[in-house]
Amino acid sequence: MSSFEAKKIGVVGAGTMGAGIAQISAQAGFETVVYDVSQEFIDGGLERIRTFLQRSRERGKITDEEEKQLLARLTSSLKLEDFSASTLVIEAAPEQLDLKREIFKKLDAICAPETLLATNTSSFSVTAIAGATRLPERVLGMHFFNPPPLMALVEVIRGERTSPAAMEKAMGLARQMGKTPVPAKDTPGFIVNRIARPFYNEALRILSDDQAQVETIDRVMKGAGGFPMGPFELMDLIGIDINFAATQSLYEASFHDPRFRPNPIQRRMLLAGNLGRKTGRGFYTYGQK
Amino acid sequence: MGKNSVAIIGRSRLAEELFSLSREKGLEAALHPDARGIAASVALAVETCAADEEAKKTILKELDAVLPPAAVLLSSCLASPTTRLASWTGRPEKVVGFATFYPLQGKKVIELSVGLRTEEGAVREAEKFFQALGKETARVKDGAGLIFPRILSLIINEAARSLDEGVAEAEAIDVAMRLGVNYPMGPLRWADQIGLDEVLAVLEGLQKETGEDRYRPAPLLKKMVFAGWLGESTGRGFYNY
Repeated sequence: MSSFEAKKIGVVGAGTMGAGIAQISAQAGFETVVYDVSQEFIDGGLERIRTFLQRSRERGKITDEEEKQLLARLTSSLKLEDFSASTLVIEAAPEQLDLKREIFKKLDAICAPETLLATNTSSFSVTAIAGATRLPERVLGMHFFNPPPLMALVEVIRGERTSPAAMEKAMGLARQMGKTPVPAKDTPGFIVNRIARPFYNEALRILSDDQAQVETIDRVMKGAGGFPMGPFELMDLIGIDINFAATQSLYEASFHDPRFRPNPIQRRMLLAGNLGRKTGRGFYTYGQK
Repeated sequence: MGKNSVAIIGRSRLAEELFSLSREKGLEAALHPDARGIAASVALAVETCAADEEAKKTILKELDAVLPPAAVLLSSCLASPTTRLASWTGRPEKVVGFATFYPLQGKKVIELSVGLRTEEGAVREAEKFFQALGKETARVKDGAGLIFPRILSLIINEAARSLDEGVAEAEAIDVAMRLGVNYPMGPLRWADQIGLDEVLAVLEGLQKETGEDRYRPAPLLKKMVFAGWLGESTGRGFYNY
């Protein structure tokens, strides 16, 4: 491991999740390289990081010097080949299984055998992604939560063939990034997306059965349950499309277990374009959009 | 509602809490383990049994026999719709359902359900009682478990399944739910606080009422209730106390 002491981290994808992961990696002191397929995407991701850091500095959370050092540890690349000597590569590409398998096949060929390969997928099996590689023992899931710089949790997912040593290393690296890692088996929805499903799905069921209105359900879940947000407020914040996709993915992955059956209300909203806060209209209406 | 008026019935922690909160708020309240010795002046009786349907049926019938005809009967509808609870009594117009979990402390809102035959006057009395305890109320259409107990029980059920299937350790599950989606407590720790028998009662009630597989209790949850591992109250649940 001596050549890996410098701890280089590669991040595939400069979208919201990729940029956020790159930011916390660089913040933790790792030499971090962000890859994407076009300079435009990379610039977008780096811009997002700069904006976040600028706000943190203005709020006094980081110093001018820390910001400079962090940005100095962050570079970008249009070539996956630049990840060859990485300690860890975290893939945060769009949620398409074929695309992810393609990326892992390439990373497997490019990277040294010691390099850990992690996917940030929330909806696919880590085992299915690892199946595209020759060394599935070093492939695992590192599921960060949005936005990565603010959310402490990382689910570290053990695929069918992931080695205990790889799990151990990934847990350690996540801790070094200032996160709280939690190990879990590769099963649909892992821990959080699965166990949180009834929070949304059962609220939708109560609504579709006309047992209570949106406002009442939100008021009860906050006032009786102590949840920071009601299910409908939260779905509007997450986005109806994203929330619906998460439910659908669990429903498919579980071979249509009725516990995960999506609710027609959500599909209707999706087709109507009422996606929540981002479109100005969801279960509630927002501003002038 | 007059001052000399509230009878709290049951042996649960919730019954004790309702009793001490009623006293604290200046209500003339009495705590009874069962239907015996209830004063003739009682205007409202609160029955808190949730987990055992036969016991609940018995106590509701006994209460119906001893309470003055005008008294309102507020009954926990965690496991059965209020209309069903009311059908076991000769005063369905006076039966109002409520659904909450222990502890009452920290809960701003209490859910009430109105049976098909419940009178508006009886619901108002129930609302006044909880308002006197400093709680807001929310009316929900009749059903088992209403909103919060129903949704939380399903979350706990999914957590128990995940634990049983070896997805993650109990502590890992609780940490993940607190940090990943900001839940105020991890679901397994929460279940231990509430009592696993109460959670199971909600799930079994929903399953019975709807006939849907969606509400099927996790085998682990059932086994733990059989084993008497109900959580904090018995010293052992998903954690040891």
